[in-house]
Amino acid sequence: MPDMNSLAHPQQHQFNPYTENGGTILAIAGEDFTVIAGDTRQSEGYSIQTRYAPKVFRLTDKAVLAVNGFAADGNMFVKKVRQRLEWYRHAHAKDMPLRAIARLIQTMLYARRFFPFYVYNILGGIEEDGSGAVYSFDPVGSYEREACRAAGAAQSLVQPFLDNQIYFKNQTPAQDTSHPVHLPLHSVLALVIDSFTGATERHIEVGDGLEMYVVLARGNPALQSLQDLPGAEEVTGTQAEERVFVIRRDLKKD
Amino acid sequence: MNSLAQRFSTTSPLAHFRKIQRLADEDEDVSDAAWGSQAGFGSLTKGVPTFTVPNLPDPTAFLRLHTDDHADPNCRIKIQHGTTTLAFRFQGGVIVAVDSRATAGSYVASGTVKKVIEINPYLLGTMAGGAADCQYWETYLGIHCRLHELRNRERISVSAASKYLSNLVYGYKGMGLSMGTMICGWDKTGPTIFYVDSDGTRLKGDLFSVGSGSTFAYGVLDQGYRWDLTDEEAQELGRRSIYAAGHRDAFSGNTCNLYHVKEDGWRFIGNFDISKMHYEGPGDVPGAPGGGYGYALRVEGKSSANPPVAEAAA
Amino acid sequence: MSIMELNGGSVIAMVGKDCVAIASDLRLGNQALGLSSNFQRIFPVTDRIYVGLPGLGTDVHTLWEKFRFRVNMYTIKEEREIEPETFAHLVSSTLYEHRFGPYFIEPVIAGLAKTPSGGVKPFIAATDLIGCLNFAKDFVVAGTASSKLFGMAEGLWEPDLEPEDLFETISQALMNAVDRDAYSGWGCVVHVITKDKIVTRTLKGRMD
Repeated sequence: MPDMNSLAHPQQHQFNPYTENGGTILAIAGEDFTVIAGDTRQSEGYSIQTRYAPKVFRLTDKAVLAVNGFAADGNMFVKKVRQRLEWYRHAHAKDMPLRAIARLIQTMLYARRFFPFYVYNILGGIEEDGSGAVYSFDPVGSYEREACRAAGAAQSLVQPFLDNQIYFKNQTPAQDTSHPVHLPLHSVLALVIDSFTGATERHIEVGDGLEMYVVLARGNPALQSLQDLPGAEEVTGTQAEERVFVIRRDLKKD
Repeated sequence: MNSLAQRFSTTSPLAHFRKIQRLADEDEDVSDAAWGSQAGFGSLTKGVPTFTVPNLPDPTAFLRLHTDDHADPNCRIKIQHGTTTLAFRFQGGVIVAVDSRATAGSYVASGTVKKVIEINPYLLGTMAGGAADCQYWETYLGIHCRLHELRNRERISVSAASKYLSNLVYGYKGMGLSMGTMICGWDKTGPTIFYVDSDGTRLKGDLFSVGSGSTFAYGVLDQGYRWDLTDEEAQELGRRSIYAAGHRDAFSGNTCNLYHVKEDGWRFIGNFDISKMHYEGPGDVPGAPGGGYGYALRVEGKSSANPPVAEAAA
Repeated sequence: MSIMELNGGSVIAMVGKDCVAIASDLRLGNQALGLSSNFQRIFPVTDRIYVGLPGLGTDVHTLWEKFRFRVNMYTIKEEREIEPETFAHLVSSTLYEHRFGPYFIEPVIAGLAKTPSGGVKPFIAATDLIGCLNFAKDFVVAGTASSKLFGMAEGLWEPDLEPEDLFETISQALMNAVDRDAYSGWGCVVHVITKDKIVTRTLKGRMD
């Protein structure tokens, strides 16, 4: 029963439509492939809502989108991006190029500048020139093309590790040698797995499962090894020359 | 009186109609134009950009609650802050220099941000404050500068372009846009810089620096600035000023992007690592004094407290 | 504004094979403004124990002088050098004395303990600012770059590293972590403690 004192003042109710659902996403671009990965745990506070909620989605045969932050906003956003890509396909009889998808995502996010989607997006795939590419976004649409990016709960654990292992930051090459500009697919996959097992150890919101999408450019020599890889599943949609695979791994569940 | 009551009622047919209208408006993407290509600017199909606004008595307070990390460090949506940008006018044109760091709290979110926005071959905009606000509205400004060219058969003046942006952001005043930008270019009047921010300020001037590291940049800039600087001296001054800010300011750093605007448009001079400038200098570029900018290198061997490395080892 | 982030700074310690390493950055700032690139926050307790004190700059010195006094008193009374584990408890109880008005420091301890057979056993520990001890077997971190250090160490550390490999591992972990932290950096110092010597190296880090 509210007392007279509390009723004497107007009651303010705060409108809070956002929550944070944890998890981490990560994308690394190679010379002729891109790996886009995310864990599958979805949590709220200290509770796990589900151990399998995908955060990485195939958009086209050369574009994969990872979303992290508020899961409801993320799922709705992916739905809307897919709708716009389908309309584009109907109007132009081809898939939207990756750099155009990136700009589309910017304008879609900025259209909600005053009521933002609380999502951090990482778009990965193959550019029209056949190179691997990663685009990372903030919730209101500022974006940049990069070679590797981690976002989400454990971004601060994973990103410095990637700086060191992908960009060779703070490492000096031996005399008369240089660091490789691009790493081969098997090294990238190993680094992604190491990043997530590390993050799972030290962050409570990361764990349960790992989904790694691999987008291969046309004629990528790694195709055969990926088809032979146990647990790798091809999810290419059409008879496109780019090929999309998903590799699933278990992470610790505690 | 009756109409007044109806306006504030939540059960009247009018209120019901409004609610339906609002729900229909929520589907902001569904316009015929969205089916085809809109060059990425689908939200502009109605002529002016349309934005979804939360259906609340005070949407501004809502936005402030969730996105302004100055007021509340715990708020969820972080907008990047912390920057050093500068531009100055001199005899040889305009020098534009910026750092490349983006921070979210103490975390360095990116060290490779492009804070110079290439609006068109004759116009540059700098980025401080909200990255998305600057990127989006300066791209949008680029569209309108091109339309101006098509309509008037001549390039837009820097003055007109900056006023277009200034008027535009003024229309959103109080809504939480955050931009501190310098619109730089060369038009009929010569090299020009306008400072435009989201409060609606628009200033013409010779020399500006914006961002958390601007005080450090001004220190070097004011010291070395003259109108009759040579091109090489001017480029070196821009680079040295960004270095000073990157060194002292925790929220600025990583690399310096340097641009030079001349009569025939802007030219990208280069990307310089700030830590490399500290130890080794900017490399073999015109105007560089040779050697690092770092303090320790300049005092080495000059006092008993700083013996040369060789002597200390002996 | 957080008091723990006022001056910045981070410390990490790691265990190797018959050796330990402790390392820190050298920055002291006033929020965004960098003031010093030669601020030592790691101190030698004995010739086999080092302590790192990341946190509020003023408390670094106050607390270190307090530890020095108490370790000296211990040495005089006991007529022997303090062991790492004993020192860790000294740190813990000293901090807990100020439970309701703490020093804003999260100490990290690294040292070699003597074994009954005459050998040495690596020891590392860390506490929070009121003295809750954490005895880890692999590595401990503290300071403004702690989350970044956790990620790096989790990715690079492996058991039984020899002193030179441990040096490379802890240096890479620290340097890459502080480069992603606005409040840490401006150079690093690394101490590797082995049975018969301590190697101290100062590293050139990013100066931005």
